[in-house]
Amino acid sequence: MFSYLVRRLLYAVPILLGVICISFLLDNVMMSPDAKASRVLGPKATGQNRREWIHNRGLDQPKPMQFVHYVGKLATLQFGTSWVTGRDLGEVFLKGVGPSLCITIPGFFAAFFASVGLALFQVFVRNSPLDRTLTFLSVALMSVPTMVYVIFTQAFLALGLSYFPAFGFNDDGFGMARFIMLPVIIFMLINLGHDARLYRAIFLEEMGQDYIRTAQAKGVANARVLGVHVFKNGLIAIITLVVAELPRLVLGSLLIESLFGIPGLGNVLVQAIQTGDQPVIMASVFLGSGLYLFAFILTDIFYALADPRIRLS
Amino acid sequence: MHLCRTLALMAGVALLVGCNNDPNPAPYHKTRPDGSPWRVRYMREPSDPKSFDPQFAYTVPDQQYLEPVYDRLLEYHPMKADPIELRAAMLEEIPRKELQPDGKVSYLCRLKRDIHFHDDPCFPGGKGREVVAADVQYVLQRLADPKVESPFFAPLEQHINGLHEARETGIAKTGKFDYATPVSGFEALDSHTFRIHLNGPYPQLLFWMAMNVFSPVAREAVEYYDGQMHDGKLRPTFRFYCVGQGPFRMREYTPRRAVRYERVEGYHTNVFPSDGFPPEKAEWLKQFAGQPLPLFDELHILIVQETIPNFVLGRQGYLDSISADKDSFAALITSDQQLTPKYKARGMGLEKVGLPSTFFISFNMQDPLIGKNVKLRKALSSACDMRAYVDIFYNGVAPVSNQLVPRGLFGYDPHYVNPNGYDLEKAKRLLAEAGYPEGRDARTGEQLVLTLEEPVESTEYRQRAEYEQRMLEALGIKIKINENTFARVIERLEQGNFQIGAGTGWAIDYPDPENFFMLFYSKNFPREGANYCRYSRPEFDRAYEQMAVMDDGPERLALIQQMNAMLAEDCPAIWEFDKAFYIATQPWAHWTHNHPTIEYGFNKYHQVDPGLREKVRHDWNRKPAWPPVAFGALLVAGLIYAVRWNRRRHV
Repeated sequence: MFSYLVRRLLYAVPILLGVICISFLLDNVMMSPDAKASRVLGPKATGQNRREWIHNRGLDQPKPMQFVHYVGKLATLQFGTSWVTGRDLGEVFLKGVGPSLCITIPGFFAAFFASVGLALFQVFVRNSPLDRTLTFLSVALMSVPTMVYVIFTQAFLALGLSYFPAFGFNDDGFGMARFIMLPVIIFMLINLGHDARLYRAIFLEEMGQDYIRTAQAKGVANARVLGVHVFKNGLIAIITLVVAELPRLVLGSLLIESLFGIPGLGNVLVQAIQTGDQPVIMASVFLGSGLYLFAFILTDIFYALADPRIRLS
Repeated sequence: MHLCRTLALMAGVALLVGCNNDPNPAPYHKTRPDGSPWRVRYMREPSDPKSFDPQFAYTVPDQQYLEPVYDRLLEYHPMKADPIELRAAMLEEIPRKELQPDGKVSYLCRLKRDIHFHDDPCFPGGKGREVVAADVQYVLQRLADPKVESPFFAPLEQHINGLHEARETGIAKTGKFDYATPVSGFEALDSHTFRIHLNGPYPQLLFWMAMNVFSPVAREAVEYYDGQMHDGKLRPTFRFYCVGQGPFRMREYTPRRAVRYERVEGYHTNVFPSDGFPPEKAEWLKQFAGQPLPLFDELHILIVQETIPNFVLGRQGYLDSISADKDSFAALITSDQQLTPKYKARGMGLEKVGLPSTFFISFNMQDPLIGKNVKLRKALSSACDMRAYVDIFYNGVAPVSNQLVPRGLFGYDPHYVNPNGYDLEKAKRLLAEAGYPEGRDARTGEQLVLTLEEPVESTEYRQRAEYEQRMLEALGIKIKINENTFARVIERLEQGNFQIGAGTGWAIDYPDPENFFMLFYSKNFPREGANYCRYSRPEFDRAYEQMAVMDDGPERLALIQQMNAMLAEDCPAIWEFDKAFYIATQPWAHWTHNHPTIEYGFNKYHQVDPGLREKVRHDWNRKPAWPPVAFGALLVAGLIYAVRWNRRRHV
């Protein structure tokens, strides 16, 4: 297993280099230094303002030199500074991870427990009119765009019922709870339909296994069959699917963070895209690809851990 | 099991705490020292500040973030807009213009005494020192320092004596600006009196003094807040830390969330004016006349990028005003541009803000086809029905523009009729005279094809582009749209690589016609300037050079009329509209002023009634109890159904 992991880590290096190359090329093909300067400084910046700005950021250097300098900095995990705010990106990302995780981790667990619960419930009442209704609702939930969830929950739960703040964030312990409720509910709703459908299929497959028939023949109660035997065995497949979601947790949700004013990494990226803050965009791409590679390796490990029949080699 | 119970308990507590939809943190205090209620004003900005450095920050939002902390040498009278009137802020009086024997001009300025920088660790003993003339000299040196990257250097270097030279000599030795380098345009007469020497007449200097570029900053603060570690503590950079001298001190800035300010005790630089009240508010405003500023104690600027939460927060009463943007317009404003009955019944007010600006479509005067054919340009201009355009895309709020100078500025002629305004029949006639009858080349019979550069960054932009295309194609010609990002369009315009460019225009820096006519001055060709049309006419240039340095008066007006006539004759652009929008104000925060030309600098004059806000907020945010009950009942019903279904299945 160790040699397998080392090999996977070594494979990751050229992939990351490829991502860096492509993002650097795209960045330079899409916009000239002058266009970058006018994007950041605004249309009123004079030629002199822009020249100074370009020179101070080394964008007038030859491209190969810029690339070598960029890769060298990334190798030491120095992401540089934001063009728009002048802030150190290491600090920006570190400060952004917390708020992102505050939304995504509870959202992830809420979605996980709700989907597993709903899937088990549907298996419990399988083939009943209620099961069919819930399946229909799951498909409907899958089909609704995130924006609709945001507008609906803000209008209904925040404005209509006045239960939660429609916007904002606060990181002082329990005071935070009321701010993350709506985003967490949305996070759950976004994933609920798809996940419940998937998990229902997994659990139903388990229901057809011999060991379930044996348990039922022994007189084990239906609820226990589902809650212990089906759930535990179905979890092996579910875990591997869930681990691949980890990068999304760290990187946050672009739309939800932006619409709820959560100062997380998703929000950082949205603002960077809107203001043409290239260092932030490129560092986010690098971080995102690194996290995805890491998550794929982690999936393999979890798969092996969850199912002793699997060996990594 | 224990963990599950703890989690359930935490979730329950969280839900209980969650039963409050106020997104704002608790105010710093509940009452003032005299026992009266603590007054908080809640505002919204759509983006983070780019900087808190007065010599760097340039955009309107940045100036709004800065104005509570940094006073300016001069400011606009909050009530007087027709004509616009400057009044002294940190200066004793409006600077006196002095003509020097060599034809140069100086301004004599006297700082008010006893204005102090806010207390801060950067000063000895943490006590803010008095603002003196040397701080203004330091401002000029900062403009000359290339590391500050001040956008104000370029427009001021040609006017302030020695500013350009100071940069050259300041960086000559080490490449780093030496702050021992004097700026010859600054002459200190005593600790509070100074002269600013100009290279020639430049009356606009007074308007610059009303901007944050001339806000005095303390050298101690700039040097102290260097972004480095000191004694194990990281100090912020001066770009993101304020040590001001204005009515508020900045207490907190949390990126992408909020900026909070608290009133500075003992602020006395200015008081609420006693004159110039608009007649419809005069009776109400009298109560504030002569009162010390600011009228409230705490300012909370919430950073809300999206428009939907802005409307929701405003409806809940958590913002003191709601901007009527595209998502909320129909809910707030009726078709005859009044507040809807629902919001009128809430006691809300409606203010129209018109930012002097002119948006136009630029023709490339160096393009071999369009640049050489004035009748073609006039035909295109006459084909554009900007009234319909504004009705569709701006709800009819933005005024249609028919001249370069926007409303509210000296030189704007309300009776002017644009000879190239919308008239489709005339446009078709002009097109035929231009050599393209019914949109086809008279010699070859081929359809005329023109390319329109369009900044398209959203669906709405695309709709606008397609509408412009349709207006022009009504002439029978073919318009090819070249869609790009705004930055890319500007790049193409700067390179002169276009025929017709949309999305161009100018928003006011200072209320002077020179700020607009410079867009067609031939020495302002890109990349140094913003004459994207590459319009060049020697008579226009001569008139501009004369007009730019004149004081307002009949002679200046005559020159402006001449320039307007030249632009109408050459038609280098299609005038589109001026920027304007509505803001609905809450019943507890009706505006004490509405300056129709300037968007910033008036925060300290606003008032709030915290008692009314508290009462109204409570009424607007009642929480019904039935939804959790209904939800619980639904769950229980589902469970009962499930159990019964299972029992039936196994019978």
